[in-house]
Amino acid sequence: MAQAAGNPGASGTSTTPPAGGPAHARRRASLPARSALLERVLSLREGSIIVVTLLVAVYFSLSTSTFLTSSSFKTLLPFFAPFAILGAGEVFVMILGEIDLSIGATYLLAPFIYYKLATAGVAPVLSVLMALACCMVVGAINGFFTAVVGISSFVTTLGMLFTLEGLTLIISHNEPVGMPDAQVTTTMVKVTHVINGAHIVLTEAVNHVSTFAKVLGEGTYSELVWAVLIVIAGQVLLTFTRWGLYTVAIGSNKLGAGEAGVKVKAVMIRNFVLCSTAGGFVGILEAVRASAVEPDVAGANEILFKAISAAVIGGTLLAGGSGTVVGALIGALFLGILDDGLILKGVNADYQIFYVGLAILLAMTINIYVQRVRKGSHG
Amino acid sequence: MADGRAAAESIVGPVSAPDDVLRVEHIAKRFGPVTALRDVNLHLRKGEVLGLLGDNGAGKSTLIKILCGFQRQDSGEMFLHGKPYAPKSVDEARAGGIEAVYQDLALIDELSVYHNLFLRRERLHRPLPFLANREMKREARAALDEIGINIPRIDVAVARLSGGQRQAIAVARTVNSDADIILLDEPLAAMGAKEGAQILDLVTRLKAEGRVSIIMILHNYVHVLEACDRVSMIQDGVIALDKPTAETSVEELTDIVVNEYRRARMQEHGELSPAPAGDAEGSSADPSGS
Repeated sequence: MAQAAGNPGASGTSTTPPAGGPAHARRRASLPARSALLERVLSLREGSIIVVTLLVAVYFSLSTSTFLTSSSFKTLLPFFAPFAILGAGEVFVMILGEIDLSIGATYLLAPFIYYKLATAGVAPVLSVLMALACCMVVGAINGFFTAVVGISSFVTTLGMLFTLEGLTLIISHNEPVGMPDAQVTTTMVKVTHVINGAHIVLTEAVNHVSTFAKVLGEGTYSELVWAVLIVIAGQVLLTFTRWGLYTVAIGSNKLGAGEAGVKVKAVMIRNFVLCSTAGGFVGILEAVRASAVEPDVAGANEILFKAISAAVIGGTLLAGGSGTVVGALIGALFLGILDDGLILKGVNADYQIFYVGLAILLAMTINIYVQRVRKGSHG
Repeated sequence: MADGRAAAESIVGPVSAPDDVLRVEHIAKRFGPVTALRDVNLHLRKGEVLGLLGDNGAGKSTLIKILCGFQRQDSGEMFLHGKPYAPKSVDEARAGGIEAVYQDLALIDELSVYHNLFLRRERLHRPLPFLANREMKREARAALDEIGINIPRIDVAVARLSGGQRQAIAVARTVNSDADIILLDEPLAAMGAKEGAQILDLVTRLKAEGRVSIIMILHNYVHVLEACDRVSMIQDGVIALDKPTAETSVEELTDIVVNEYRRARMQEHGELSPAPAGDAEGSSADPSGS
């Protein structure tokens, strides 16, 4: 349960108040000494995957000399930050007990909408906002067909997946495009150096990237900052607001939530909008980072599966009712470390996908085992 | 044969008392070809616990659904605190202070006890949109203590509680929501003896408090006599008996049901009479699943 994450110390102790007495007056006894750090971590919903991710990180740190370096961290970022954001969006839909299969297609389409607008003369920031608005419409349509018409979200978003991928191929004419305002320009600048009192003028090449591009993906830590901000915002939304509470309520007992007066359809549509917007936003970030985008439909579907994997590995149940945004970030981190670590170990690219697959199975097995230990520790 | 049947059984006409909070007159409800309720007359006095009895398919649940705004009657009138009452939705009934507690629907398993108690009435850190969890916990604890429900921890998911505790929390939520008429649809179903006793205790305490009036569907006549002030038996879409529990007994209630069963059997075998109205509920649309 989401709120348990904010209250990890609360488990393990149980005070039975005297009947009729003011129970809150009796504060919970301090945690017993046996509750070590490990147990605290394990009492988190994401606890088990944190442990598994750490194990994988330790393995790569020991088995390669380069994993624990800052340059390695930089190469890790694009392997994980985008999926943290995508996973965060997917978590909101999956807690409902639904799924959004169109997130990869939205990811693919958004930069092309941005491209069309920006090349038509719309200001860059406005183009981004309008592209995101289109993604919101996509989410609203997904939500409408799922919540109002009553088609299963698997089918709704599968239909949306093909529709959007087709649309992307149509509007792009199946050609890659360079992202406007995200190009690196090089200018020669005369720089005056003072060496031993003598002034020397040298011509140096300076690369320019617009602030717009730096903020939206091209800066080294841009995606990481976005991912952290979005995950924190998402987790706060999920744990500390009515929106999040109703999301869990609908996923846990849709009929009961409706009976209690929760506006089930509105919340569902909102969550689909959130998920699609996350998809489109990451699509734009990645396109700006690469300064180009190609209508790669197969790549978009791989993005989809990794986003869902990040959410599921992070502890979100496919059945709904339970999940955390922070978990999706850790799930994405796990997948990123795996990708990055295998590359650093020099694993052949063909073998790499194979190993990633096996590693996911192994990790989830350990995950479930650790979860059992965790539940056991609750007594 | 409708006339003959009506003559063979007693139909309770409109009854009223000066302190009625709810009155139901001549309510009828059909679902296509089947009649669920023919002519139901019922009243509920302030602070009273009314036991609603009847065989499966007699129309109890249909009546409860009409009372709580989930379905609308075809004809007949209802009065809430003396004023005409015709709820168009569950929300409207709830705004009028009438709320039904369904065992299966009531609670959100993954949410904590206090979030369940405050669902749709969450306390917030105004003007911020954040949940005031501490405040809700405190108030939830106070509310549970007040009606004497002992839940050791209110920050656990309700999925981890027993059936009796869950039912108690569902009732507490309704009481806590300022409902003054509570409809309990088989509150003891699928519950152990001890848990059932806890719920009946809770009903007794609420009765002693005198703030809420309760209509409770029960199957066990012993429970009815123990917890209710009055009993109404619904049979074949009409109220066939309406008596204070002090004036009736398990034997009388049983006899009425057995006689009705025999008469229905004789009709079935004696001639090809129309299907008894009793089958109505099974075939009716029942989105609530209750």
